[in-house]
Amino acid sequence: MRVAVLGLGAGGARAARQLASTDSVEEVVVRDLRPARVDEVAASLGDKATGDRGPYNAPVEADVVVLAVPAGLHVELAGPLVARGIPVVSMSDAVEDVRGLLDFGPEAEARGIPVVIGAGFAPGLTCVLAAQAAAGFESVDEIHVARLGTGGPACARQHHRALRGSAIDWRDGGWVRRPAGSGRELSWFPDPVGPADCYRAALPDALLLVPVFPGISRVTARLAANRRDRLTSRLPMLRPPHPEGGVGAVRVEVRGRVGGSSRVGIYGAIDRPGVAGGAVAALAAVEAARGNLARPGAGGLAGLVDSSGFLIELARRGVKVAMFEGAG
Amino acid sequence: MPYLGVVVTLIRRALVALGMAGIVAAVLRARGTGGTPPQRGGWRELTPDDLS
Repeated sequence: MRVAVLGLGAGGARAARQLASTDSVEEVVVRDLRPARVDEVAASLGDKATGDRGPYNAPVEADVVVLAVPAGLHVELAGPLVARGIPVVSMSDAVEDVRGLLDFGPEAEARGIPVVIGAGFAPGLTCVLAAQAAAGFESVDEIHVARLGTGGPACARQHHRALRGSAIDWRDGGWVRRPAGSGRELSWFPDPVGPADCYRAALPDALLLVPVFPGISRVTARLAANRRDRLTSRLPMLRPPHPEGGVGAVRVEVRGRVGGSSRVGIYGAIDRPGVAGGAVAALAAVEAARGNLARPGAGGLAGLVDSSGFLIELARRGVKVAMFEGAG
Repeated sequence: MPYLGVVVTLIRRALVALGMAGIVAAVLRARGTGGTPPQRGGWRELTPDDLS
């Protein structure tokens, strides 16, 4: 298969690397607006890679396209691809992108192609973890997602923006908007990351999870930040973001019922967000090109993949997940 | 107004004290953290057998 990756930041470059190491992928087209970056990534991937210096919206011939461009460009780039019947995998975690991509659902369904939304560390891996936890329940009442860390500079800028927007929570059958930066909660991520203060933020997780779990009463998403992040969120970033980011973590708490009694399932993972997000996007692209996703149309990974098989393949690619035992 | 100088000094000192208290409170609020750790249980990495 031929896969195109648009955008070669931390996540896009890792996705391209994962795709190049996949046997069924014969060619990886890597496109970015920075010629030096294209040359660098293409050279590191070997014979399977074909460098492409853009522009991003130039037509591309591929069996599936991974969008790893900065937030705000995904809807504009996905439109022509969906119209041409090319499956799309978007790594964006911006609420506007996710809303716009969900709107492609009817057209993608009519054309019989998938539009995989939020295929990264969070959302993405978190959606799969939520589905895995929910598989053990007869019904799901609540899902609470927390994430810590950023990938490359574009991801860090999106993290900064998310703290000054509006959080979108699902509560008792309706959407509730709350100020980002509010609702401080201490979340315990897998070791050795441990505890971190998390706040409401403009995160799209609820938009992707609610359609998959009809009847769910609460879905929330929080972002780890310190109070300086929160206080300075309305200012320009005071320091340039790190080119790669540090270790990140996700935590997904699912509350449901089994045999009439309440149960809690808590899953998590630690990894560099760009690395894990790239692996998730690459695997989602391979599954989309193979036609292995559950249905055509637009949606998050929770409703499109077999969670256990996806997590096993991710583990084979080095992304390990953990479960909190003894939570009750 | 023999007491004017004393009153102005008092007000100035009160404002300085309030300002310093505000700065200290802001620093503490920016740096503080807390919460209760889980009282039982722990994280365990999942194997493919756990997932299948």
